[in-house]
Amino acid sequence: MSTEEQRERIELLQGTLDLLILRTLLLGPAHGHAIAKAIEFNSEDVLQVEQGSLYPALHRLIKRGWISVEEGTSENNRRAKFYKLTPKGRRQLTLETRKWDKLAGAIARILRPGEQEGES
Amino acid sequence: MRQRKRMLEHLDEDIREHIARETQDNIERGMVPEEARYAAMRKFGNVTIVKEETREVWSFVGLEQLLADIRFGLRMLRKNPGFTAVAALTLALGIGANTAVFSVVYAVLLRPLPYKDPASLVVLNETTPRVGTVSVSYLNFLDWRDQSHTFSQMAAVRGVDFNLAGVTQPENIRGDAVSPNFLSMMGVRPFLGRDFDASEEKAGTPPVILLSYSLWQSHFGGDPNVVGRTITLDGRGFTIVGTLPPNYRSVDKTDVLLPIGVWLTDNSEDAKERGARGDMVVIGRLGPGLRLAQARAEMEGIAARLEKEYPGSNDQFSVALQPIRDALVGDIGPAILVLFGAVLFVLLIACANVANLFLARGASRTKEVALRIALGASRGRIISQMLTESFVLAFLGGLLGLALALAGIDGMSRLIPMDMLSGATVNLDGGVLLFGAAVVVMAAFIFGLAPALHSTKPDVQSELKEGGRAASAGAEQNRIRGALAIAEISLALILLVGAGLMMKSLYRLLEVDPGFRPDRVLTMSLDLRTQQYSKDPAVLNFWQQVLDKVRVLPGVEGAAVGTVLPLTDSHNRTDITIEGMALPTPGNYPHPDYHIVSPDYVNTLTIPLLRGRTFTDADHENAPLVAMINAMTARRFFPNEDPLGKRFMFGHPSAKNPPKWCTIVGVVGDTKLYGLANPARLEVYVPLRQNAANTMYLVVRSGADPAALTSAIREAVQSIDKDQPLFAISTMKELVSNSVATRRMTLVLLGLFSALALILGAIGIYGVISYSVVQRTHEIGIRMALGAPRGEVFRLVVGEGLKLAGIGIAIGVVAAFGLARLMSSLLYAVSATDFETFAGVAMLLALVALLACYVPARRAMRVDPMVALKYE
Repeated sequence: MSTEEQRERIELLQGTLDLLILRTLLLGPAHGHAIAKAIEFNSEDVLQVEQGSLYPALHRLIKRGWISVEEGTSENNRRAKFYKLTPKGRRQLTLETRKWDKLAGAIARILRPGEQEGES
Repeated sequence: MRQRKRMLEHLDEDIREHIARETQDNIERGMVPEEARYAAMRKFGNVTIVKEETREVWSFVGLEQLLADIRFGLRMLRKNPGFTAVAALTLALGIGANTAVFSVVYAVLLRPLPYKDPASLVVLNETTPRVGTVSVSYLNFLDWRDQSHTFSQMAAVRGVDFNLAGVTQPENIRGDAVSPNFLSMMGVRPFLGRDFDASEEKAGTPPVILLSYSLWQSHFGGDPNVVGRTITLDGRGFTIVGTLPPNYRSVDKTDVLLPIGVWLTDNSEDAKERGARGDMVVIGRLGPGLRLAQARAEMEGIAARLEKEYPGSNDQFSVALQPIRDALVGDIGPAILVLFGAVLFVLLIACANVANLFLARGASRTKEVALRIALGASRGRIISQMLTESFVLAFLGGLLGLALALAGIDGMSRLIPMDMLSGATVNLDGGVLLFGAAVVVMAAFIFGLAPALHSTKPDVQSELKEGGRAASAGAEQNRIRGALAIAEISLALILLVGAGLMMKSLYRLLEVDPGFRPDRVLTMSLDLRTQQYSKDPAVLNFWQQVLDKVRVLPGVEGAAVGTVLPLTDSHNRTDITIEGMALPTPGNYPHPDYHIVSPDYVNTLTIPLLRGRTFTDADHENAPLVAMINAMTARRFFPNEDPLGKRFMFGHPSAKNPPKWCTIVGVVGDTKLYGLANPARLEVYVPLRQNAANTMYLVVRSGADPAALTSAIREAVQSIDKDQPLFAISTMKELVSNSVATRRMTLVLLGLFSALALILGAIGIYGVISYSVVQRTHEIGIRMALGAPRGEVFRLVVGEGLKLAGIGIAIGVVAAFGLARLMSSLLYAVSATDFETFAGVAMLLALVALLACYVPARRAMRVDPMVALKYE
């Protein structure tokens, strides 16, 4: 039973999570745990991502060529994989951000028609 | 590929690292290490799913998973050899029977015909209400061809026989004389040599011939230089101009092909007589975009015009059109389809049985499945794994089934008379194998899906908590298993009804009096075709010598010759005029079958003489013309008077045809000329010496085994003419038996399939009931501890089985009531809803169900309450 629910949530978050990962990597290469932390921190802990779901997403982005991966050592000298935005990924981020803005704006207009009228 | 390997190589490590970091963070936040680690893992989520999904990103997973599943499936099957053997064998029977029957369906009904665009080829015959479908007159064909616009081409095909005097044995061969455009119209090119030329349509064409591939091989050793050589037929040389391709196929066996011009040269009177209709069909090719219905409308119009124009020969004659496939399939089509439906039922029953086995096993695997789901396997994943297992099993069953099908095809082709297949070869080829593969896939889905869905139902997970005895899941499972058993019983009942109806039909049919006694009679055909027999005295002389020589052979009780044998497809019919009758329109004259016979004919066949006398040697050329009629003719035309002494003539009286009256001297019994299932027709008999005939059946009654006389008779005939072939040698009993061959084949196979269905259905009920007894051991123990007598326990269990059987029988009876109608064309003197058959089959099934319940019920009776109660 729980299995099905988890799956649904992951799929619901998929596109959004990809966008958040790309956005985080815009600031510079990072390893998996750091990306998870950054997303939590920047969303002021609102987005409680199940950290595990990060990994399928990262692999998906690598496969699409939007991010690349390299071996390195982290701040405390531990071996780690660093994920890095590729130029293709950078373009995709711009595209996705624009799409997201449009979507968010549209949803906001539907949810709060009164405010929208007031503003315009 | 390499990237994928590198990426996945360190996934475990990455995840461990990630959790370690999170744990570290948590410790820094002030958690104790153990708590910190748990928090980190909770936050990470289900590691198994994460790994699985990450792997799925690198899509090769599909194939990898499949291979793993197949390996797993094989392991599971190996672990339960008993289960695997029973399931695979059950499936093999279902799949094998289907593949075997489909090979016939494919050969007869589906395999592309070896012609160009066969869909636009149409076979045309003439038809008249007095007889039905009859051959085409050549002059009518010429008019059809001239006047039709819906056909782009038309060709006449006239069957011809030849005597081929061989090195060893003279033999009779069969050929077709065809319009020169025939082969090109069909889209057939000669294998060697040339096609016929348009100039070879006219009488006077020099004798040229195309050999069939097999005749070329058997008589000319496949000589590549055969073109230009000569073959001697009927004592005259034909120039070989080519050979036919090996896959040449025609409605009848074809040994040679010759241009119609050659036939016209030898049969000029047929070409002039519009009323002569002998063994000729017409094949036409529809013009582009035109349909059969349009052609039929046009042809019926043309036939109606010809009927007006030539009433003497065409009154009451119209035209019948059918697609060439239908003409080739003939009468065997409905039987094949009924059998195909039957094997599909067998397959469904087999699948239901295997599904039942899977469910029973699924029950013992519920815990395994529940555990895997708890460990993070998704439902879809487990279903696909279980389905793979079903596929592996179905594949195994399919392989076994293929072996069975090979054996089955061999057996079936022995059951089906070859001439009934009209040139279709039944074998395992690509199309049939493809069908077999489709059946395997279908079967795997049918028997695999329900158990897979059922045992992965979310609530099955309660199994883990409830200690493996979830009452609700168990009850639902029993319902499914019960439903499967009910389905098996109903399907088995339908098959048994079909077999029962066929059996009753065949029994009734074989009880039909054919009008003669078939025992101990040997028959064979002789065709005097060479020049020396073109004059009557020679012909009569020959028959007389044959009869004289055969009659004195040891073991012979009687010998005679006659032109038409009952239950064969040779027929002679003609119009007669009875003296003093009011003359009807030309198409409404009495149209009996006529026999030219030697004096002993009716005695030899034991056709009863009802009145008057049979022919004697005194009824010779110079004696008054005499005839015998059958009982039906007597009833029809002389209802209240003595037919003896009355007279009739052949044909219609006219200035050209002055009356030659034959006096009726005897009345004999009716014979079933057109098959046991068909009503008798008008028949007249005339003596050989007053009507010489070149083609005759020799009929010999023997004191013992008639077939043993064959070689002695052959020697006797060839001592008179060494080049004279004897052919179509058969006992009268075989002819009777062949005449019901399609029905017998249908009965044998239906019987086989329904026996199979009965056994599988019994196993199904047995499985369900014994499983339920095992499940209810506890309950039964309590009942018995509380004082229930053993007999009541027995009744309880048997009652459960009989309830299933009862429902199954009820559903089956309703379904059979509807379905049996589909086979009514195969039945004889039995209604498709015959009460006796339905009741008998229902009783049989109930009895078998009772037996199937007996063993588990006995087991239930022996349950020891103490043991049963301790069981938990």
